[in-house]
Amino acid sequence: MSGFSSVYLDTRLTVLARRLFSFEQLIDFIELDLERILAQVREHTGYDYTVDNSNPRLIEGQLTNHALDEFRILIRPFSGSERRFLQFAIRWFELVNLKVLIRGKFNAIDSDLIEEQLIDLRRFADLPIKQLLETDDPYEMLRLLETTVYGGIVRPARRMYEEHGNDLFLLDATIDRSFFIDLHYHARFLDSEDAENVGRVLGGLLDRFNLLWLLRYRFSYGLSPARSFYLLTKTGNRLHSAQLLRLARLDSVEEVVVALPREYRELLANVAGISDMETVMEYYSLSLAARALHRLPNLLSRTFSYIVLREAEVRFLQALIKGKQLGFENDLIRQAVGARA
Amino acid sequence: MWSAPQEMRKIGLYMVDADAQQAALALARMAVLHPLEEPGGEALPENPAAPYHEVYHDLNSRFGKISGFIRKPLEAPAESTRLVTLDRLQELDQQLKALWAQISALEEQIRRQNERIAAIRQLANSLQKFTSLDLDLGRLRRQGRFLRIAVGTIPAENFNQLRSALSLTKFLIKTFYSSEGINHVVLFGPSQHREEVQDLLQSADFRGLVVPEEFTGSPTQLQADLDLRSREAEAHLRNLQQELYDLIDANMATLQSARDALLLAQPYASLGTVLKGRGGLVYLQGWVPAQREDEIRQQLVGHLEYPFQLEFSKPGQQEFDRVPSLLKKSRLLRPFQGLVKNFGMPGYREVDPSGLFALSYLLMFGMMFGDIGHGAVIALASLLFVRSYPGVTIVGVLAGMSSLFFGFVYGSLFGYEHVVPALWMSPMHDPVQVLLLAVFWGAGFIVIANLLAIRNFYAAGQFEQAYFSGKGLAGLLFYLAAFYAAYQVAANGRFGWLEALVMAAPMTVIVGFQWRRSSGGLVERILVVFIEGLEHVISNVSGTLSFLRVAAFSLNHIALAAAVFAIAGMLGSFGHGVTVVLGNIFIIVLEGAIVAIQCLRLEYYEGFSRFFNGKGRAFEPLKFET
Repeated sequence: MSGFSSVYLDTRLTVLARRLFSFEQLIDFIELDLERILAQVREHTGYDYTVDNSNPRLIEGQLTNHALDEFRILIRPFSGSERRFLQFAIRWFELVNLKVLIRGKFNAIDSDLIEEQLIDLRRFADLPIKQLLETDDPYEMLRLLETTVYGGIVRPARRMYEEHGNDLFLLDATIDRSFFIDLHYHARFLDSEDAENVGRVLGGLLDRFNLLWLLRYRFSYGLSPARSFYLLTKTGNRLHSAQLLRLARLDSVEEVVVALPREYRELLANVAGISDMETVMEYYSLSLAARALHRLPNLLSRTFSYIVLREAEVRFLQALIKGKQLGFENDLIRQAVGARA
Repeated sequence: MWSAPQEMRKIGLYMVDADAQQAALALARMAVLHPLEEPGGEALPENPAAPYHEVYHDLNSRFGKISGFIRKPLEAPAESTRLVTLDRLQELDQQLKALWAQISALEEQIRRQNERIAAIRQLANSLQKFTSLDLDLGRLRRQGRFLRIAVGTIPAENFNQLRSALSLTKFLIKTFYSSEGINHVVLFGPSQHREEVQDLLQSADFRGLVVPEEFTGSPTQLQADLDLRSREAEAHLRNLQQELYDLIDANMATLQSARDALLLAQPYASLGTVLKGRGGLVYLQGWVPAQREDEIRQQLVGHLEYPFQLEFSKPGQQEFDRVPSLLKKSRLLRPFQGLVKNFGMPGYREVDPSGLFALSYLLMFGMMFGDIGHGAVIALASLLFVRSYPGVTIVGVLAGMSSLFFGFVYGSLFGYEHVVPALWMSPMHDPVQVLLLAVFWGAGFIVIANLLAIRNFYAAGQFEQAYFSGKGLAGLLFYLAAFYAAYQVAANGRFGWLEALVMAAPMTVIVGFQWRRSSGGLVERILVVFIEGLEHVISNVSGTLSFLRVAAFSLNHIALAAAVFAIAGMLGSFGHGVTVVLGNIFIIVLEGAIVAIQCLRLEYYEGFSRFFNGKGRAFEPLKFET
């Protein structure tokens, strides 16, 4: 990257980072009504969102597309393996649509209803949505999906479906696992400094998902230690392979928490229930990304961190706005966005 | 030479719902209606064709999926007046849905069978590697009470994770061969963990080698068994494929009916969002060519059963942006119209420059690539594409003939300058004159482009633009004045008050016009007007000089031929002949392509961009899809 591009990207990242909401700001939004939330979002970010009660997905699409437009600008100065890594990372957004499609077809939901839940990703979309919606059964859709760029992600999901039927968590986890394996693979081609810096943020994400999946597979689904371990993704910052093998052998959530590395043990010591642990780990991994965005000099790592944080913010706002549109109680919204933990 | 797109009328047709499909068929047969979608408002809140459109869409989608399996050609429908009811469409949709369910199930079986065959092949491949292993294959069948052994394949990317996971079950795994992303492995461990390992292996996509009951320990026997399984699997695959084709063949009548129905239903279905209605009355509107008003009226009278009301109206100026452009049809001009559309579609009231474009393009091509031999080769070679790409043939033959004509003008034959007497002279004899001629050609080109711009502004009712803008009359006068001034300086070395005055007067008008249109603060307006004025002067100068390439390429053509002859001159008679032939091929292919592109560039950037915004909408009539 040229010196000019570096300065440009650095400035862009600094400006965009200032527009991110803090966790406390987002939590405060829960107490506000929808109009005031959108007014504050407009004031803070400059983005104007349209509320259309006849099309609640419109605002979700707008939120995603604003984020994707920013990513497009941020990625532009990169080239080669760095660019490929970031472009792959952005696919995370399309996985939401992929999961909606798979769940919808497996549950025999009407195509129009599935379409309503999809987010319009415009030029970032790789999935042939129209053809996928026109499929008549899940297997036809899977065959079509296997011909797309998501073929490698879909094949394990098919196996999981054939083995365990239509279990939402297992399907989602299988798709996410494949995504992280591929993302980790792309990270291998970065130069050593980039790989190390990106690894800190990515490692936090991998730890979070591995721990959550391990707990769920072992104690919610009762899978064997070996199988639970096998279904985990690449190892992250603190939960290395040997450690995960050791954790997989344990017989209760409490034992696992006690056996965790000190940092995670302290985080989860007083947290009851896997769902709340998931939230705590999510915010911990986001705090790592925030630290990298604000403190690290490495531009690739900062860009990746921004993508991670912005994705979480978009997801939070989508859940919050949807809850407000549907007239949910604040407590229920708090639970949905994981603000209780 | 040039013309505007065809005159259009806005059509409004009120009819009863029962006649709407017949009206759609009649209009589709004539291919005259460009439907116009406008909200019906409270007066016409219903979309009567929407349910029909929905079922049509489903049926079309299913037919599209199935049609990939149809091996026999379907016949064209015998008639184009038959109505296809919504009930009939639904019935066909249900039939195709049931058929597709069977096809999809067979497709899934075929997919699994292919996977099975691939797995057997991988195992057969594994077996061949066993010669390097000191392992009794009989043990694979005789699973002991304490020890379980398995041989098989897994995707290479799953291996490390599986090896770690297996360590929790005290199993060991070893790769003995690896190829094409597949690891051929042997694994063994205590039998007590067999079920746990089985689940794990399934997750890791492990394909195990199954040893038959009668196995005696010989790998050859196992190989034969795998060969047999492979043959059986392939036979089964062929059966499934045959079953699929038989299923299609058995349903050809249904498929033919579905295809006929789709063709006949398409016009009405495509009005799904266009047709508005209320209580059995429907309203259809769109654009039609003015000259076909009477024909439309007669056809509707002939085909509609109930009374209807038909209105034609001339588009108002405020509607010009929305009126589609239907270019006049001409077989000869069609490929040139294609090139014009590449730049953009002429607006409804804009000039269709296809004729002028064709003439100037061909003239410039000939001027830049004038050679009797090369022109003849291009014209003859273009005939090869007469069936596959008729447009290429038309452009190629005409360009070749233009090149041939200018070849006579220059006296050039395959680069030889002294074989055929020149009707005028070879460009090399007086390059300055040729360059001057190119500048005059460019000036003429720009003047015509400016005149067309004035005409377009005028036709669109933008009179101020037509008179006072840089692309309007004032711009034209400034250009002519500047050209006159430049001529005076070059010819007489004089730039007096007359020259200054004739240039300043139109420029003052242009700047004044820009000033009136600009907004913002005083400094900003001064800056904008100054930059736009300067840009106008620069674009005229650079545009005119751009045409020097017409002369440059005609000189370049001769220079390239001279280079070929220079190389050929250094060789013996055989080498000379070969070099001249290859050199000429090189000139025709490479320089011919470059000249073709340069001509297009001059047309687009120095011509079209001056008078034509290309934002028109193409006339897309309701018609039968074939």
